Order: sequence, then C-alpha cells, then structure tokens
Amino acid sequence: MEFNFLQILLVVLVTFVAAIDQFNFLESFYRPIVIGPIVGAILGDLNTGLIIGGSYELMMIGSMPVGGAQPPNAVIGGIMATVFAISMKITDPQAALGISIPFALLGQYAVILTFTVMSPLMSKADAMAAEANTKGIEYLNYFAMGALGLLFAVVVFLGLIFGQAIGTTLTEVLPTWVWTGLGAAGGMMRFVGFAVLMKVMLSKDYWGFYFAGFALANITDSILGGASLLAIALIGIAIAIYDFQMNVKIKGLGLASKGGDSDGI
Amino acid sequence: MASNVTSYKNLTPANQLDKKVLNQMAWRSLFLQGSFNYQRMQAAGWLYSIIPGLKKIHTDKDDLATSMGHNLEFFNTHPFLVTFVMGIVLSLEQEKADIPMIRAVRVAAMGPLGGIGDAIFWFTLVPISAGISANLALNGSILGPFVFLAMFNVVHFGVRYWLMHWSYKMGTNAIEALTRNAKEFTRAASILGVLVVGALTSLYGGTSTVLEIPNGDSPIILQEVLDGIMPKLIPLGLTLLLYWLIKNKNWSAVKCIGLVLVLGLLGALVGFF
Repeated sequence: MEFNFLQILLVVLVTFVAAIDQFNFLESFYRPIVIGPIVGAILGDLNTGLIIGGSYELMMIGSMPVGGAQPPNAVIGGIMATVFAISMKITDPQAALGISIPFALLGQYAVILTFTVMSPLMSKADAMAAEANTKGIEYLNYFAMGALGLLFAVVVFLGLIFGQAIGTTLTEVLPTWVWTGLGAAGGMMRFVGFAVLMKVMLSKDYWGFYFAGFALANITDSILGGASLLAIALIGIAIAIYDFQMNVKIKGLGLASKGGDSDGI
Repeated sequence: MASNVTSYKNLTPANQLDKKVLNQMAWRSLFLQGSFNYQRMQAAGWLYSIIPGLKKIHTDKDDLATSMGHNLEFFNTHPFLVTFVMGIVLSLEQEKADIPMIRAVRVAAMGPLGGIGDAIFWFTLVPISAGISANLALNGSILGPFVFLAMFNVVHFGVRYWLMHWSYKMGTNAIEALTRNAKEFTRAASILGVLVVGALTSLYGGTSTVLEIPNGDSPIILQEVLDGIMPKLIPLGLTLLLYWLIKNKNWSAVKCIGLVLVLGLLGALVGFF
C-alpha cells in the first residue's frame, strides 16, 4: 500500500491509544464513529472515514460488549475497514468491514492473550501488596495497558505494510482449537478468583446463601438477563437486614453475651 | 495474600480524606481495567485506583500491606460506576473497620452495579449519542465524532466524579451506626456478599460444552442433559473443585490457573469446548 511513513506512524499511534481506550479512560474514543474519521483524515480521505465510521457505529449499537463477551474486535475492525476502504477505493461500508474481519479476529486474539497472561501475574501483584509496594502495582497497571496497546499497534502496522492478505495468514498461524481452548480457559479462570474469595469469605454459616444465590441467578437469568444481580441483591438485602435486626435484638436481650463464642445453643 | 489477618494494627480512625484525594482516586479509576485479566478481572486496577486514599489512611506499613492484600481479591463492577464502591470502601478503611466487614461490603456493592451501568450507558446513552452522531457523519459532517465524544463523556465524567464524593460522604455518615454493632453488621454483610458470589458463579459462568454423543439419528447433546439437571452445572462444579483444591490441598492460584489452561486446551482438542 502506498502510505507514507508519517501516515503509518500516526495510524499506529492512534491504534495504540484506541486499544487502551477500549477498556480504560474515555471508553468512547475507540468507537468507530471517532476512530474512522481520524484514520480517514490521516490517510487524506476524511469523507470515507466519516462514512465507514458512521455505518460501523450504527451496526454496533445493536451489539454491545455486555457481560464480558468479546465480539471480534471493534477497534481494529474500524481502523482496518477505513484503511482498506481508502486504499482499495471501496465505497460499500459492508464490503470494507468484511475485508477487515481477519484483523478484527487478530484483535480479539490479542485481548485473549493479554487477559490470559495477566492472570498468573496477579500472584506477582500479591507479592507486591505484601511488601506495601504501591509503585509496583502502579507499574503493573501501566505495563498491562502498554502491552495490549503494543499488540494492537503491531497488528495494524503489519496490515498497513503487507496489506489484506497478512490478516488471514496470521489468523492461521495457530490452529483454531488453540484459540478455542485459550478462550475456554479464559472463561474458567474467573472460577479461580471466586474460589480464592470463597476461601476467605465462607465460614460454615454461609454455605446455604452461596447456593441460594446460585439458584436465584439460575432462575432470574433467563427472565432478567443483566438485571438479575440487582434483583438478587434486593432479596439478599432483605435477608441481611432481617438477620442484622434479629442479632442486634438478641444482643440487646443479653443472651449472646452469656453464650459467648462457644455457641452453645 | 495476607491471609488470616482480620483487623488492622492501628485502629485509630484516620482523618477524613480531602476533596483532592477523592478527585485523584476518581481520575485513577479511569484505568480500572488497565490490568484486567480472566482470574481476578479488575482487582489490580481497583487497587491502583484507591492507592492514594489507602496511603493517606494507613500510615502503618503493615496495615497498608494488609489493606493492599485484601483489596487485590477478585473484583468486577461496572467501570463507570466503580467510584460508588470506592467511596463506601474508603469510608470503612478510614474507620479501620474489620477486614471481613470491608470485604463483604465491597463484594455486595460491586455485583449489582453491572446491570445498572449497562442499562444507563450501553443501552441508553450510547444508542442515543452514537445514533445522532453516526447520522451526522453519514451526511458528511465532521461534527459527528465531536458530538458523540461530548455527549458521552459529559455524562460519563459527571457520574464518575459525583458518585465518588456522594458515596464517600454517605459512607462516613452511616459508619458510626454500622460499627456500633460491628459483629452483627459484618455477619449481615457477609450473607449478602456470599449470596452475590453465588449469583456470580451462575451469571459470570459461561463455560459450557459442545460435546455430542453419537446415538444413531438423535445424538445426545451433553449440555442439554446437564441443563436438565441444573443450569450452569459446569461453572458450579469447577468453582467447587477449585475451592476444594485451594482450601484442602493448599493449591496456589497460579497452580489452579495452570490446571484450567490444561483443561481448556485439552477440552478444545477433544471437542468438549
């Protein structure tokens, strides 16, 4: 493709920022409506950038990333669709988006990779916390953001230099079952987080509530979807307030102090 | 993890956090998901966000380490509403409340915000602002992206900063009444927190199998069989297995992650996922 050095540098830089922005900071700069026109302006065709960005944005409104699901990545999708629309003189936004799909897939892989690699690194964070090393935690947060930005920048850079074919080639470097497996493992790693939390939270008294919460979520999920947790929390609050009032009352009667911690009832 | 410590060494309540520190934390909360990961999600970003407050509150180095340790546990909430949780948790930290109490309140508060935030931001604000500005852009107007960024971020920053100050004030006002019956309150908050963790196991647990057992013309779809017993059986089973390994077999989190990676890759290879 016939872009000059400065154009490539600027698009890569915008990619780096947008990659971080998709999860941090404004969390709106990365949207196609913003990124399309910017990339268009850099490549000397603002109008195409506006059209691609606007069309992609309208398509996306229907499919937001809700509840942790990752669609093929919108950041790279928006950028590469604009790049290809301009370089290959494609006027149909759908067609431009279609060509960019391998890159959007690579963006998704980059996200999976970063989120997976950062999981065991949390033990490093634990060690830093144990030493009250606040600087370490700060660097860790910056490092992870930088790593994700860099991965995205590399993918877009390769696309700008080698063109459309490189996207497909790269997605085929690893067989799909590896990505399926990594994705599945990623989906299961949160259970490790839950388990550690349960180890410190769950005494014998509370097991029933754990299963009650699980069962309530199973029931409400199909009806309420994302709103389930609030409904469940309201039920939980009722139980918690009742429990609190009863125990305060018992304490007021002086029963608990005699029973002490031995719990002889 | 600073494991078994349940209270701070220095129990004298710290001075109130000033506006500057609260604003500093609200700013940092923009990078809540900086080190997002599959294991603890926003945990490290959460700690990153509240460090300025924790440093002011815990002048004792051991207490700071203890606080940082328990604030690194699994955390996930709506990124735009996180300052609500921050305000309440910081008011408890400032009062030097017991750690089980702080933990229970943190878990109970983080859960329900996800649905509220999605409803406000992704289902309402984005469709409106993006819809208007996308149509501007399609008509060739360069105003499109600017209108979108302005509309979205006025609400975004307004909510983020306002919640920080409001919830910290609410927390500090409520705290005295809560700590008067600290033990009972911790228990009640733990009930709510554990209920939320149980709900999260189901709602965040997306793990399912695509395995089909050949059976003539009507193959047995394993996931349907499992759902017939109880939905989300795999997430529940895995969570309990990992809990058992950590609690009874002293497995570290890293070892558990290794196990999960192997399970994921092997499962994908044999067609389970």
